[in-house]
Amino acid sequence: MADRIEGVKKLFTSKSARVETNMGDAHYEKLFQSCQARIEELKTQTPRENRLDIDSFLDDQGVNRRDFMKWASAVTGMLMLPSSFTPLVADAALLMNRAPVIWLELSDCAGNTEAILRSDGPKIDEILLDIISLEFNETIMAASGHQAEKQLEDAIHTFKGKYLLFVEGAIPMGLDGQYGTIGAHAETFYDHLMRISKDAAAVVAVGSCATFGGVPAASPNPTQAVGVMDVLKGKPLINIPACPANPANMVGVIIHYILTGQVPELDSLLRPKFAFGYRIHDNCERRAHFDAGEFVEEWGDHGAKHNHCLYKVGCKGPMTFNNCSIIRYNEGVNWPIGVGRGCIGCSEPDFWDKYAHERPISSVNIKAPTGGVEKTVDEFGLGLLTAASIGIGIHAVASVIAGKTENKEY
Amino acid sequence: MNNTDVEYDDKLGSKRVRVRRMTFTMRLIHWVNVVSMIVAIATGLYIAEPYYQTLIADDAVDKYVMAWNRWGHFIVAIIFDVTAIIVSYLFFFSRFEKHYLKIIPNKKNIIEFWEVFLNLILLNRRKKFDSSHNDSFNAIYFIVFHIMLAWMLFTGLQLYVHALASGDSSIGAWWPWMLHLVTDWTIPFSSWLVGTTATGGNIMDVRIVHHMSMWIIIVWVLFHIYYQIWRTIFWQEGDIAIVVGGSKFMKVGSDGNKKVEDK
Repeated sequence: MADRIEGVKKLFTSKSARVETNMGDAHYEKLFQSCQARIEELKTQTPRENRLDIDSFLDDQGVNRRDFMKWASAVTGMLMLPSSFTPLVADAALLMNRAPVIWLELSDCAGNTEAILRSDGPKIDEILLDIISLEFNETIMAASGHQAEKQLEDAIHTFKGKYLLFVEGAIPMGLDGQYGTIGAHAETFYDHLMRISKDAAAVVAVGSCATFGGVPAASPNPTQAVGVMDVLKGKPLINIPACPANPANMVGVIIHYILTGQVPELDSLLRPKFAFGYRIHDNCERRAHFDAGEFVEEWGDHGAKHNHCLYKVGCKGPMTFNNCSIIRYNEGVNWPIGVGRGCIGCSEPDFWDKYAHERPISSVNIKAPTGGVEKTVDEFGLGLLTAASIGIGIHAVASVIAGKTENKEY
Repeated sequence: MNNTDVEYDDKLGSKRVRVRRMTFTMRLIHWVNVVSMIVAIATGLYIAEPYYQTLIADDAVDKYVMAWNRWGHFIVAIIFDVTAIIVSYLFFFSRFEKHYLKIIPNKKNIIEFWEVFLNLILLNRRKKFDSSHNDSFNAIYFIVFHIMLAWMLFTGLQLYVHALASGDSSIGAWWPWMLHLVTDWTIPFSSWLVGTTATGGNIMDVRIVHHMSMWIIIVWVLFHIYYQIWRTIFWQEGDIAIVVGGSKFMKVGSDGNKKVEDK
């Protein structure tokens, strides 16, 4: 009930999802100056722990300078900056080891970590994420137990107020948070997050679980899992939802932070507009089939073989905001709709309950507003119509009978 | 304003008096709304889940089926917008009838509302109200309809504007800007109505509520049509003629609820 009251309070405070692609020359000139000053200042600093030379590292990985600059200009475009910013973006990428990152895992499947680490044939995004100054990451670190806790303490102490905190996974709030604990002292995920976010420069929630609760928060949500933005107040917070979050967008956020020292422009759900200001549907290669009314009716039919629109088998592209129809995954190789499988809306809140179905929303079983039985919207509506018809029928018959009785009295 | 004139004397010694109830404009709006609603439901159901297949083996320009359905849906939505604005103006400023006077919760209106309602559920055995004019029950019933219609327009425009992600449109940036300003509140409100386990309102809840509201409006229409027919049959005052010819008849005398006035 308290959530609902909170929801009503938000009624008139919700921000629009509008994307400003051109802020005017004056704005960009000013931004360029401040970014340049910041980059120059960062160049004078030496990274404390990570002395890796990114230039030679990229060289070792078979990425030459030309490929790197092509990538830098693509990232500049993705961040909605004019092309004059390309050298600055390239510089910022090379300075990524100056940005200490602590990566927390809470209620999750480590899918976002996997997306970065285990991609086959890493692209520059993934390489760069490998060489950021990752001070703490449970999945890939060698240390464990007390050693790992010591490492975390050191990182928080050394980079106090400077590190970026990446959070992957939801926070279970049921049973005083006892559904999820970590470390030798069985610290709950909630306490863990609160303690480590306290000294962070900014918090980046990665993946749908950390942003909106995701799969752990799916109905009936037994652990009462919530996203980071539900529990964390008074910290700059960036949400990068999707399941998994696209490494390109994580790099975009880090580079934007190094470049400007600020969080990028966010929409009402705290998602960077450069990545989530686009609707999948509008840049979908199958859009023409949608407009023509040519749909895949069932898997493997004529339509499926001819790349028809996947709307009737549950594609949620028309309601999902993400840039994966533009930048795709795995070095732009492919994306869900490209492989003939509809979008499940993984970057939207509540996606597991309301998007990830193989049919349009009107024929999906959802909870009725009263709770209890799950029905489709149409079943609920037809039930309402049936009830009304029966009521009217009874009234009509009763009126006729009553009318006849009345006539007899005359 | 005098909306009545004596039409003819009844054989039984009572009179039938003609009462004007709807102006030409009101009747025109009614039928425009009827047609719009049928189109909106037919196209809306297709948009929600395409229920017929495109079987034309022809160029894409000819089988622009979903696009035409959406076009039709938007056109009737805009017609609804216009009639809604006219209706809400007439609600307060009509020279023919000040509709809002009937929904003010004063003693007279509350009594009238319950009398009409009791007469309905007691199968027309308690007609203790003046049925010649627009009664409070009817006024409230139509207010419910107009609120639901406004809700459909707000949620519909929200679903429409979220497709204009670039923040621009063919008629300028002011249009999506204005729609965001006016309809963004429907997202958290819909999530509040549907109930969401995750953080943040989402556009899917607006879709669910928009679709659900259609069914509630269909139920409203069902009762509306039934009630008009029921009144016509049991009151014998020609109520169903109001929306066609603009007037009904009021019984005055021994079988009516008004006394015969001496001229």
